[in-house]
Amino acid sequence: MSWGAPSVRVAAATAAFLALVSAANAATDERCEIPAIFVEPLSPLPRAAAAARRDRKLDILVLSGSPSQTGAAKGLRSYPAYFQDALREKFPSLEVHVAISAAPRRSVADLVPQLDKVLADARPSLVIWQAGTADAYRGLEAESFAEALRRGLSKVLESGADVVLMDMQYSPRTDNLVDVGGYIANMRWITSSMEVPLFSRYEIMRHWNDTGAFDLGSLRNNGLFEQVHRCIGELLADFVARGAELKEFESKER
Amino acid sequence: MTAPASTGRDLRLDFFRGLSLWFIFLDHIPSNRLSWLTIRNYGFSDAAEIFVFISGYTAAFVYARVMRERGFIVGSARILKRVWQLYVAFVFLSVIYIAQTAYVAHQFDNPLFAEEMVVLHFLQRPETILLEVLRLRFLVANADVLPLYVILMLAFPFMLWLLLRNPTLAFATSIAIWAAAYFGGVNLRLYPLERGWFFNPFAWQLLFFIGAWCAVGGARWIQTLYRSNIVLVICIVYLLFAFALAMTRVVPESVRMLPEWLLLFPLDKTGMSPLRLAHFLALTILVVRFIPQDTAFLRSGWAEPLLMCGRHSLEVFCLGVFLSLMGNFVLVEISGTLPMQVAVSISGIVLMVGLAALLSWYKDLDRRAPKQPATR
Repeated sequence: MSWGAPSVRVAAATAAFLALVSAANAATDERCEIPAIFVEPLSPLPRAAAAARRDRKLDILVLSGSPSQTGAAKGLRSYPAYFQDALREKFPSLEVHVAISAAPRRSVADLVPQLDKVLADARPSLVIWQAGTADAYRGLEAESFAEALRRGLSKVLESGADVVLMDMQYSPRTDNLVDVGGYIANMRWITSSMEVPLFSRYEIMRHWNDTGAFDLGSLRNNGLFEQVHRCIGELLADFVARGAELKEFESKER
Repeated sequence: MTAPASTGRDLRLDFFRGLSLWFIFLDHIPSNRLSWLTIRNYGFSDAAEIFVFISGYTAAFVYARVMRERGFIVGSARILKRVWQLYVAFVFLSVIYIAQTAYVAHQFDNPLFAEEMVVLHFLQRPETILLEVLRLRFLVANADVLPLYVILMLAFPFMLWLLLRNPTLAFATSIAIWAAAYFGGVNLRLYPLERGWFFNPFAWQLLFFIGAWCAVGGARWIQTLYRSNIVLVICIVYLLFAFALAMTRVVPESVRMLPEWLLLFPLDKTGMSPLRLAHFLALTILVVRFIPQDTAFLRSGWAEPLLMCGRHSLEVFCLGVFLSLMGNFVLVEISGTLPMQVAVSISGIVLMVGLAALLSWYKDLDRRAPKQPATR
C-alpha cells in the first residue's frame, strides 16, 4: 500500500488521531463510573468548607512523594490538573487554585519535617496528601510509617487546613511483589481515628481492573495515564465537593 | 488409596499429580480464561491440595521402605538428598524469575506505574535479594508450592520416623501444629515486610502428613472409609454444597440470597481452612472409589502425557512456573484475546509434556545402558 503525497499522509494521521482522541474522550466518563461508596467521604472537611464560604475561594495543595503521579516530573497532564478543571467547571462561582508540592520518592517520614515550610509557603485551606507509595515499595516498617503519618496529618490540621489522605495506586504488575494492603489498612485506621477522610485510589483502581474498565496490567501507555488520571481527578473533585459541601457554588451568580 | 503392598506403582498417583501440574500452570497465568477448566472454581480446594497430598503419599511410599529396611540415618540421608534437589530447583527458578522481572521492568513504558516500577527495591539491591532467596525469605510469586515442599521434606525424616512408630501420636502432633498455624498464626516470615508465607508450612504439613499416613499407616482405615455408603453420601452432599457456594462467585447477584453464616469466602488458604481440607478429602474418597487402580484408561496411551508429567513432577512443576510467567508476559505484551489465551495454554501444556517425555527417554537410556565397569 502506498501513501501518496505527504500532505495526504498528514491528513490521514490527523484524522486517525482525532478519531482516537474523541473515542477516548467519549469512553472516559463511562469508564470512570464507580459505586458511590468510593467517593463518599467518611469525615467532613469543615475548614475547607468555611474558607470557601468566607473567601469564595479554595486554595488546594497536592502533596506527594511521587512526582510522576502528579505530573510534576514529566509534564504529563495528571490528576491535580483534572481535579482543578473539574472543580472550576462544576463550581463556577468558586475560585479554585491547585498547587503541587512533590519530591521524588519521599517516604512520609521524609516529608513531615518539611511540612511547616511547605504549608507556610502555599497557605492552603485544603491539602490532598498522596502518601504510601514510597513507604510500601521500600518496605518501610509499618509502625514508624503510622507514627510519621499521624504526626504529618496533625501538622496539617494545626495549620488550619483540612486534609484528604490519598492512598496508593493499584498496580497489578507489582501487586504480587509488594504487599500494600497492610499500609492501606494502617492508613484507613489512622484516618478514621483522626476524622480525616481517606480517598482510596487503590480500591477505585482495583474496581476498574476487576470490572475491566481499564487494563491496568498494560506495559504500554496507550493513553492509559491520561484516562486514569482524568477519572481520578474528577472523582477526587466529587469527593471534595461532598466533604466541603460545595453545592452552593454550582450557580454562576456570586 | 489401596494398600501399598499392591504390585507396582499406583498409576492414579502419577495421573492426578500430572493433572494438578497442568491445573497449577493454567491457574498461574493471571486472567487466563482456561483456568475455568480447573477445579478451584468448582469447590473449595484447588490443585495445590492434590499436589501436596500426592507428594506426601509418594514420599512416604518411597522412603518408608528405606527407613524400615536400612534405618533412620540412611532414610533421612535419602530424604535430605531430595531436599537438596528441591532447594536447587527453587534457587534456579528464582534466578529466572528475577531476571524476567528485571527484563519487564526494563521494557516497561507505562508512566502510570513509573513510580511502582522504579522502586522495585530488589532490582536495585541484587545482593540482598539473592541472599534472601538462598535463605528462603524471598519467594517467587506463584512458585511458593516449591519452597513449601522444601520445608515439608526437611521435616519429613522426623514425621516419617514418628509415623512408623506411633501413627496416632504422629497424627495428633500434625494436627496440633496445624492448629498453632490456623488459630495462632504461626508462620515463616518473608523479606522485606516480614509477612507470612502464602502456603504456611505449619498448616500445609497436615495435608502432606495425611498423604503419608494414607500410604503407610492408614490404609486399612481408608479402605473402611471409602467402602462405606454413608461416607459416600456425606462426601457427595458436601461436594454439591461446595459447588453451589462456588457458583455464587460466578453469579454475584445470588450472594444476596445467602444467609450471613454462609458467607464463607474467602476461605483461608494460607492456614488451610478445615472446609478446604474436608473438600479435598471428600473429592479423594470419591476418586478412589470410582476410579480403581486397574482402570483400563490409565494403561491406554491417552493417559500417558499426564502420567509422564506426574512421574517427573519436580521438573515439570518448575517448567510450568516458568511457562506461566512467560505466558502472562506474552498475554500482556502481545495480546490477551481469548484465542491467544488458548494458544498460550495449549503450547504450555505441550512443552510440559515434551519435557516429561524427554526425561522419560533419558531414564530409559540409563536403564538400558550396560553397567560401567568400575575404573581404578
